[in-house]
Amino acid sequence: MFLLFRRGLGRGDMLEIKNLHAKIGDKEILKGLSLIVRAGEVHAIMGPNGTGKSTLASIVAGKEDYEVTAGEILFNGKDILEMSADERAREGVFLAFQYPVEIPGVSTTNFMKAALNAKRKHHGLEPMAAKEFLALMNEKRQLVELDKSYLSRSINEGFSGGEKKRNEIFQMAMLDPALAILDETDSGLDIDALRIVADGVNKLRTKNNAFLVITHYQRLLNYIVPDYVHIMYDGRIVKTGDKNLALKMEEKGYDWIKEELSAG
Amino acid sequence: MIFTEYIKQAFDAISPDSLTPIRTEAMKAFEKLGVPSNRHEEWKYTPIKTKLPGSLRLSEDHSSLVKEDAVLPPILFSDGPEQRLVFINGFFSAEHSNITKQSGLIIGSFKDNLSEHRDIVLKYYNQATDTIKENFAALNTAFAQDGAFIYVYKNTQITSPVYIHHIFTSDSADVFTQSRNLIVAEQGSNVSIVEDFKNLTGEKFYNHVSEVFIGQNAEVNYVTLQIETKNSTSVNYVEARLEKDARYHITTVTFDGKMVRNNVNAYMDGENALATLNGLFLCDGDMHVDNHILVDHRVPNCNSNQVYKGVLNGESTGVFNGKIFVQKDAQKTNAYQSSKAILLSDEASMNSKPQLEIFADDVKCSHGAAIGQVSKNELFYLKARGIDEVSAKGILTYAFANWVINEIAIPEIRESLDGKLKEKLRIEF
Repeated sequence: MFLLFRRGLGRGDMLEIKNLHAKIGDKEILKGLSLIVRAGEVHAIMGPNGTGKSTLASIVAGKEDYEVTAGEILFNGKDILEMSADERAREGVFLAFQYPVEIPGVSTTNFMKAALNAKRKHHGLEPMAAKEFLALMNEKRQLVELDKSYLSRSINEGFSGGEKKRNEIFQMAMLDPALAILDETDSGLDIDALRIVADGVNKLRTKNNAFLVITHYQRLLNYIVPDYVHIMYDGRIVKTGDKNLALKMEEKGYDWIKEELSAG
Repeated sequence: MIFTEYIKQAFDAISPDSLTPIRTEAMKAFEKLGVPSNRHEEWKYTPIKTKLPGSLRLSEDHSSLVKEDAVLPPILFSDGPEQRLVFINGFFSAEHSNITKQSGLIIGSFKDNLSEHRDIVLKYYNQATDTIKENFAALNTAFAQDGAFIYVYKNTQITSPVYIHHIFTSDSADVFTQSRNLIVAEQGSNVSIVEDFKNLTGEKFYNHVSEVFIGQNAEVNYVTLQIETKNSTSVNYVEARLEKDARYHITTVTFDGKMVRNNVNAYMDGENALATLNGLFLCDGDMHVDNHILVDHRVPNCNSNQVYKGVLNGESTGVFNGKIFVQKDAQKTNAYQSSKAILLSDEASMNSKPQLEIFADDVKCSHGAAIGQVSKNELFYLKARGIDEVSAKGILTYAFANWVINEIAIPEIRESLDGKLKEKLRIEF
């Protein structure tokens, strides 16, 4: 009974965004966005440029440039708007950046060591032993076909666009988040890199974690098949469907949504 | 007793030697120059006058006071350095030193070699310093009696670094040390020198001059370490003269000290010479670090690079003054300068002054100066992976600073300094 009860909780809402309003400076970007993501699900968010998709990703991850003026975000029942970005990450939120940052002078290995041990400490665990850590790195880098040499190089320094995105998925694999947000991970990727990245993500899917995939194009969703597709427009989710909605968007563009909205 | 009166008395007490004529000239110059106030253009941001200890006393030989274990350098090689010269309050301590005989190399104390190799000493001594305009160089020349003497003969390659280790200690009063190195690398030779300063107890003021002569096609790697120098005020000169095809790399690392003034000067005397002058300083509390750099391009076709990086926390202050002179004849000069500082607190401050004076018309010179905080984007990237703000700032500061250390050509020093830097910034990886 106890197990069932626990399982029941685990299958509950992992991420719950209620009526979120946010602005940057005087510009209101999110205008009452609501979304529920449960463990085991993959949600795709599509929409035209400037509609607030990346803002949503940044706000969930805890970027401080935005001001949330109304609404709430619950992650496993906890109000994460009260948490700093690093706290959210240690709780299990991961953002794969649209533009991963280059940091000369710190190797990816050392970066991951610091990140992983910060998370372990948060959960009351000892730092990972060196040997175990190296084995984990080795296993996870192979998921995204990242050559070993990249790990000792400075973070993203001189990496191609595709290598940077693979490095994001590698980091995700290392940190094993409950909720992964992929912010236009497909942008700037050729078809081979896209396949590698998508395969990596698919291998990481379990019934306990969830993905929020932000993309312009349906193409990525051929590889990472979503359970739900949301269309975002002007700071809100205006339409939700299954993977076929993404195909429809690809075929018809966003204009019909705009028309439908103005008609309604 | 006021400082100048005391200095005069102390000068009269020095026993005469073959340097007496040079000393007398320098003393005259110093009497004219005095201790600079902040009205002096080169000392505008470094109020050295206020730091002269009230009960100042010129140092004497204190080597008997120091126990062996106290002189262990903060950076140790795995097997211990083959060549180690130890100076206590500016005076050579044979018992703490370790000298291994090597062909093509004279190494030892300046004082001893002044009698043993008088001609060599007199040929080079005071040929790289400006004792007419430089207050503390004049003072040093008037008083210095000891220091390191390193002479590398033609085509001799010295493979392991020579270690010059300065220890400051005192039994009672404040100690004011004047010490002097003379380093000559003859044509085609190669030597690496690590010079380190360490203060054991009490307040100190050290005024140190190194003269470095780099012959044709010779190479000198020089590392200055000021990492265990708490409660000390210092003026340090490293003056290098480069002949044709000479290569010179100097790195100055400052992690400690009360008020630190480094003068790193390179004079390009021969064509096609290369000088690299790098520096890293980490300041906290009320530390003050002033790096005054000068590269004087006097002849054509030389290259010089300066990269100085500083990290300032607390109420600390930093100064960078980087001069590049390109004289009329110095065509086809390539000179580059960069000064960057990160301010970690609102109270820390940095004054940066690039100064390029170019009198030739066919040269490439560039400079850049940046003072700022750690990048917000980089900080968010690290935090988004679960690293807390304080640790993330530490990691980014480490990333900024370790470039200077990675450029050092001596692997053991690079490794040890990397460890020291991580310790300072509380980096755990």
